[in-house]
Amino acid sequence: MNLQEKLIILADSAKYDASCSSSGSTRNIKSKGLGNTFFSGICHSFAADGRCISLLKILMTNCCIFDCKYCLNRRSNNIKRAIFTPEEICQITINFYRRNYIEGLFLSSGIVQNPDYTMNLLIETISLLRNKYHFNGYIHAKAIPGASLYLVKKLGYLVDRMSANIELPTDKGLKLLAPNKDSKKVTNIMHYVKENRSAKFVSSGQSTQMIIGASQESDYDIMSKSSNLYQNYKLKRVFYSAYIPVNHDKNLPLIKTPPLVRENRLYQADWLLRYYHFKVEDILSSDNPNFNLLIDPKADWALRHLDEFPKDINHCSYEELLKVPGIGLKGAKRIISSRQYFTVTFKDLQKMGIVLKRAKYFITCNGQYLMTKDLWNADFITKNLVLEEQKHTTDTKKEQLALFL
Amino acid sequence: MKKSNYIYIYPNDFTSLITLLGELAKSKILPLNIQDKNYIPGLFDKVIELDLSPLNTPAIISHIDKNILNTLFYLYLSNHEYKELIMYYFFLYSLKFKDKVFFHRDINIVDKALKIVKYVQNENHKLKGFTRFKELKRHILYAEITCENNIIFLLSNHFKKRLKNEFWIIKDVKRNILSIYDKKDFYLVDANNCNLKEIILSEEEQEIEDLWKSFYKTIGIKERQNDRCRLNFMPKKYWKYILEVSDEI
Ligand code: SF4
Repeated sequence: MNLQEKLIILADSAKYDASCSSSGSTRNIKSKGLGNTFFSGICHSFAADGRCISLLKILMTNCCIFDCKYCLNRRSNNIKRAIFTPEEICQITINFYRRNYIEGLFLSSGIVQNPDYTMNLLIETISLLRNKYHFNGYIHAKAIPGASLYLVKKLGYLVDRMSANIELPTDKGLKLLAPNKDSKKVTNIMHYVKENRSAKFVSSGQSTQMIIGASQESDYDIMSKSSNLYQNYKLKRVFYSAYIPVNHDKNLPLIKTPPLVRENRLYQADWLLRYYHFKVEDILSSDNPNFNLLIDPKADWALRHLDEFPKDINHCSYEELLKVPGIGLKGAKRIISSRQYFTVTFKDLQKMGIVLKRAKYFITCNGQYLMTKDLWNADFITKNLVLEEQKHTTDTKKEQLALFL
Repeated sequence: MKKSNYIYIYPNDFTSLITLLGELAKSKILPLNIQDKNYIPGLFDKVIELDLSPLNTPAIISHIDKNILNTLFYLYLSNHEYKELIMYYFFLYSLKFKDKVFFHRDINIVDKALKIVKYVQNENHKLKGFTRFKELKRHILYAEITCENNIIFLLSNHFKKRLKNEFWIIKDVKRNILSIYDKKDFYLVDANNCNLKEIILSEEEQEIEDLWKSFYKTIGIKERQNDRCRLNFMPKKYWKYILEVSDEI
């Protein structure tokens, strides 16, 4: 098997992992060596699926002793298997990095022999890259659940980011679809990384991923899990990966297309948790456990709380601004700082990058409302917001939405 | 302030332009336009070039707040037809509002200026990712880029850190400028004055490019295909020099 065939196999098996970001690290330039990192991250290309490519995302090997039902690489699948040597990975990484194809390496692996053995392979590869090739760019490595903590420690000093995948939000789901996995082993790693994190150890923090739509869990289950992970382990990101049907199994749902709209809603809600002062209970509950696919979670929340609106742009607080659909973090900050120097008008809002098409239903400027008062009802606003969003969705997403209309 | 019917001409460099702006502000002149030396005057244009040599450029520049000077520099790099005039008005407002000028989105020209700056910064950021080097004989890295704004200086600053221990050359194809880095610093030169005809690729270049193209094709998930999204993030105008998509054009 030549290098190209290997690369195709081992990129193909790695592509389902959603994390790609290369941000959050400030690796200073070293006099010797190659590369640095860029705090806000850099996308080098965009794949045909529209996702950013910033890292050489590959598996060390796609051989695996586990048999997770949703995974292409599971033991019982009859597929071509390959394994990279550490030297091969270094060669590809360095050659790609010098030509500015990539920001760094994202190395994961199927489990060969046992977790410690696999972990050692990753460590060997990455220390070669750091110490022999003096590679100073971004490295994200997967920690193998169940590996000894001294190995987690070794790996942590070599990488910018580490992640261990939670995969499914509940133990019940895990038992059904990934019988060899144990969520305790994942959280053990997270705990260790959290306790030891420093400028030299996993400097850009840890992340994790959940697969969406392979098991029965509700959005409420998923968001509760995320919120819990953010709080307990100080994760930088939780990634959501819409389940793509690669295998057949009685325990897997029969779907043809991945639930992309749902995935999108989860990302939106995740932002609300992290940056917009929302709590899970604000947006979902056991009575209302799943997202409205037609409308984004923030607008959905606003429509259920119409009595709190409209907000006056020149008088309400920063927190209140953040809750207005169509106003983002930057927009809210700009409004607050501008207000000190002049009275903000609708025209100014447009200049500040606020999406008036969405915000106009929920705000007043100096007491003035852009709509007529008799249109102030949830039905009318919902219809318009849905229409607005439809204009911006792609055809596959439209098909999925159509199912719910 | 008095309106002038003259178009003011400046030598083609940033510091002279700033000196001129300072001088115009001091004499309270609102010029019809400000243009660099390559400007070809129309039949009825009245042009004037001030002698800036007796003025103390470093003193003028040191009086300008760092953020404002930076903003002026980004404006200077932009491809906007009236960038000099926009710079001048932004400069005038910065004299009035000091560093608070950045909050004054209610003033159209300030808003315009800040949007242009954002556009230049965005393009620079995009090119940090989209630039593709090829390896030539003797391990020299060579990249051709195309960009709306004149960002080669900014981009070179980035690669000076990232590819510190490499020899590299970046060519802005549209402006015909080369940035040449010798492991210490980079130099911007007119490509006409350089003999770069002999671009011979290193032996392994083809193999590496093929590896990258296979990786690119593989990593996209076909069940998630989304051309609109891809085009949004990676506009076609850059594709010619992005190896992995150049043959899709
Ligand atoms: S452990 Fe499970 S998810 Fe990971 S590679 Fe093996 S089978 Fe796939």
